[in-house]
Amino acid sequence: MSMTLYHGEPNGPSLTVLATLFAKEVQAELVALDLARGERHGLAWAQEPAVAMSVEGEGPVLVADGEAMADSVFIACYLDDIGQGAALRPADPYGRWETMTWCRQIIERTAPAAAYLGCRAHPPRADAALLQRLGSVDLRARWEQVMSGNFSEDHLSDSRTKIRQAVEKIEKRLDGRQWLMGTFSIADIESYAWLAGMVALVPDAFAGRPRATAWLERVKGQPALGRALSLSRRADPAAVWSVGPEINRWG
Amino acid sequence: MHSVTLYHWEPNANSGKPMLALMEKGVAFNSHYLDLLSFDQHKPEYLAINPQGTIPAMLHGQRVLTESTAIMEYVDEVFEGPRLMPADPRDRWRVRWWMKFMDQWLAPSFSMIGWKVFVGPAVRSRDPQELQAAVERIPLPERRVAWRKAITGEFGAEELAESQRRVALGIRMLEEELAKRPWLASPQFSLADINGFNLAYALPVAQPALSNDELTPNILRWLRTVYARPATKACWAMGRTSMVKRVTILEQPHIGADRPA
Repeated sequence: MSMTLYHGEPNGPSLTVLATLFAKEVQAELVALDLARGERHGLAWAQEPAVAMSVEGEGPVLVADGEAMADSVFIACYLDDIGQGAALRPADPYGRWETMTWCRQIIERTAPAAAYLGCRAHPPRADAALLQRLGSVDLRARWEQVMSGNFSEDHLSDSRTKIRQAVEKIEKRLDGRQWLMGTFSIADIESYAWLAGMVALVPDAFAGRPRATAWLERVKGQPALGRALSLSRRADPAAVWSVGPEINRWG
Repeated sequence: MHSVTLYHWEPNANSGKPMLALMEKGVAFNSHYLDLLSFDQHKPEYLAINPQGTIPAMLHGQRVLTESTAIMEYVDEVFEGPRLMPADPRDRWRVRWWMKFMDQWLAPSFSMIGWKVFVGPAVRSRDPQELQAAVERIPLPERRVAWRKAITGEFGAEELAESQRRVALGIRMLEEELAKRPWLASPQFSLADINGFNLAYALPVAQPALSNDELTPNILRWLRTVYARPATKACWAMGRTSMVKRVTILEQPHIGADRPA
């Protein structure tokens, strides 16, 4: 099977997919895109519904046998299914339920907050002509908001709260364990991918959280993460952001 | 007593997902109905089960599971019965993509309109002080905001228009996807169909100008096929409200574009 992974800097959703790909020893051609310049919208697959309407925002795209796949946690599940080596989800159904609900919380609560704070500190800049090609009206609205520099105090404050809550939850979860699900899993990769850049932006979230802080280093020390991070063309990949998922608009 | 107890509201949206998944698998369960319109889900008895006060929740042995879509995957894996996730890894990805798209992007827009039309008016006749106290008991701040808006009917014109735009686009996307294959996300019936039916079962009633046999023949074919399944019939028969009874429109052999709303 031929596979190509179009990915951004190893941060956020691109890091989740790159690290999983390497951990599972899946062979794919790697094509680096500048997601912070909206380059995903120049791809031949940009108008495919799975890509254009991906809830995740500017994430990576894995093309397998001509089908374009988006949404990093689900691509990671796919790679876990087809790849080699240790499983990246627990073997028992309850453990897998915990993994999926954990990732859902990260996707729905942490990721929009991290992307909002990350984009304010490190604004992405897309080509105007490229943005006109966007298949999603609401994604374009988020790009316009980010590029206008107009960040609401309410959303900033709420985003910092959500980052603190995520780190607090990790701190509690790691009581007596090394990894969030007992063994190294997609939950560790996904949580790290969104939180690595928050150490610099919401430092108080990590203050007095020794287990979460040590866990960040532990995840970063995994060979698959190291290999993904080594692909970075920047000094600090955790400081490279593009437009993320939207902040919940209704309950 | 069965080993599974499901705390649920109507066979609709999030509650209906694990209900229908359990029934498709042939798993008997203790049904614990929570009346959303009486705020049962925020009462201490239920908060002792699920402190977040969201419905549904499933008790399996000593374990409490929440998050309807993740519960469905658990139900499929842990119980015997027909598989509701496809065997092919790429099909599984597609099932999950569609469930997330519906859960996070499309359903909140359906829900905003549904709450304005059904939930808000249904609770507004209650004693205002009682309502106020009920809202104060809601654990999640996002849900408190949602309930206040539903009760007061204070949805902005802009946010309603945005929800209606998403509903219209979502309907077009569903129609295009269902033109590709008999089921939503894979060659076999899957959790994506269960999820989607819970979202769309009353579509030709709720959005008659956007969904009917002329405009969206594939959606109507799909809805009727899911509704014809014995598990779906049994599940929707558990419904108590007029909202859920709208499903019977699918018994009509033809739903034209020109029928009166």
